[in-house]
Amino acid sequence: MAAPKKRYLEGLRVGDELPTLVKPAIDRVQIARYAGAANDFNPMHVDELAARAAGMPSVYAHALMPMGFMGQFLTDWLKGGRMTRLAVRFVKLVWPGDVLACKGRVLARRCDEQGRYYVDVDLWAENQRGELVLKGHATGQLFFSAEDEARQRRGEPPLIVDVSEQGELPRTIKGRPITVKPAAAARTSVAKRPAAAPPRKAASDKRPARRAKTSRATIRPATRGSKK
Amino acid sequence: MLDRRLIGKSPAPVVCEVEKGAIRSFAKALGDDNPLHHDEEAARAAGYSGLLAPPTFASTLTTGLDPLAALDIGARSVLVAEQSFEHHRPLCAGDKLLVSSRIVDIYERLGPGGSLDVAVVEDEGRDERGGLVYRARRTFIVRPPSPSAQVAQPASS
Repeated sequence: MAAPKKRYLEGLRVGDELPTLVKPAIDRVQIARYAGAANDFNPMHVDELAARAAGMPSVYAHALMPMGFMGQFLTDWLKGGRMTRLAVRFVKLVWPGDVLACKGRVLARRCDEQGRYYVDVDLWAENQRGELVLKGHATGQLFFSAEDEARQRRGEPPLIVDVSEQGELPRTIKGRPITVKPAAAARTSVAKRPAAAPPRKAASDKRPARRAKTSRATIRPATRGSKK
Repeated sequence: MLDRRLIGKSPAPVVCEVEKGAIRSFAKALGDDNPLHHDEEAARAAGYSGLLAPPTFASTLTTGLDPLAALDIGARSVLVAEQSFEHHRPLCAGDKLLVSSRIVDIYERLGPGGSLDVAVVEDEGRDERGGLVYRARRTFIVRPPSPSAQVAQPASS
């Protein structure tokens, strides 16, 4: 298998869906293994009799197990990037036999004053009945492009690109707009995009157009209410 | 209502060393085969000082450092409702952290079966120079002894 391609911010668009990660069915052995690894032996997770005595139909998974799946999901997806924040709300308990699907969607792209790029992602997990068991969001830090990474590895300053114009959340730094990019540099790197990149990117060979912005803006409201 | 005077309560911090074996078993328990958590060469090649801990690994460091033990919950059970991690730098095998845990809020919330007590705990890990490595926040709900209707049914397996 070839070395995995890295994920760069330039290849991401607000509204992009992350490829779903479906985890194998959870069983009691995995719960026990997790109890050992996390050193959390709460009887509700490892002692069937105690769980039933407490009114539960069976033992259930530690809440942090599905959250750990989310960590795996994001770390895999960020290839070369780094997760800086992961926050979730636990909606339903997770039981032996449950098959969880981890899903996500790009919510925003950001750049800070130091030229560090971040992607914010909406996350949720569903069980095999389509019920929401967990939801939240995460932030990953990544380079803008391979060129940005190469520059920084050479000790040069990062590329500064106004990423807000392609997204839908206008950002300002201390009240003033984010520095405008050296457009030529950013456009050069467009040509170096990996072939495997999603087709949507063809549109950004031209300057990020306003129509792209509106079409993306229509993606998001639909995501919020309708959990498939 | 839980005793709000416990806000700020914090057990003595503990020193934790992040062990590579612990990272591997944690990743294995999650079924996570990312080489960054298993293969030291892969982790170093990616720029990490050692095996990279999975994002939720820090939760294992606070075991035995439970400020909630101070709460008088009687026969009620505690469920974690929310959890977050903020990583200020990557957590890697070999890191030695000073880990602390503190109750930062206690309040009452109206739930389906009456009022529920909520307790919020903040954990943090600092490196040997005092630099913040991670901060975690856990929100717990203290439920009445009988299981409430919101508990889901188990899978038919």
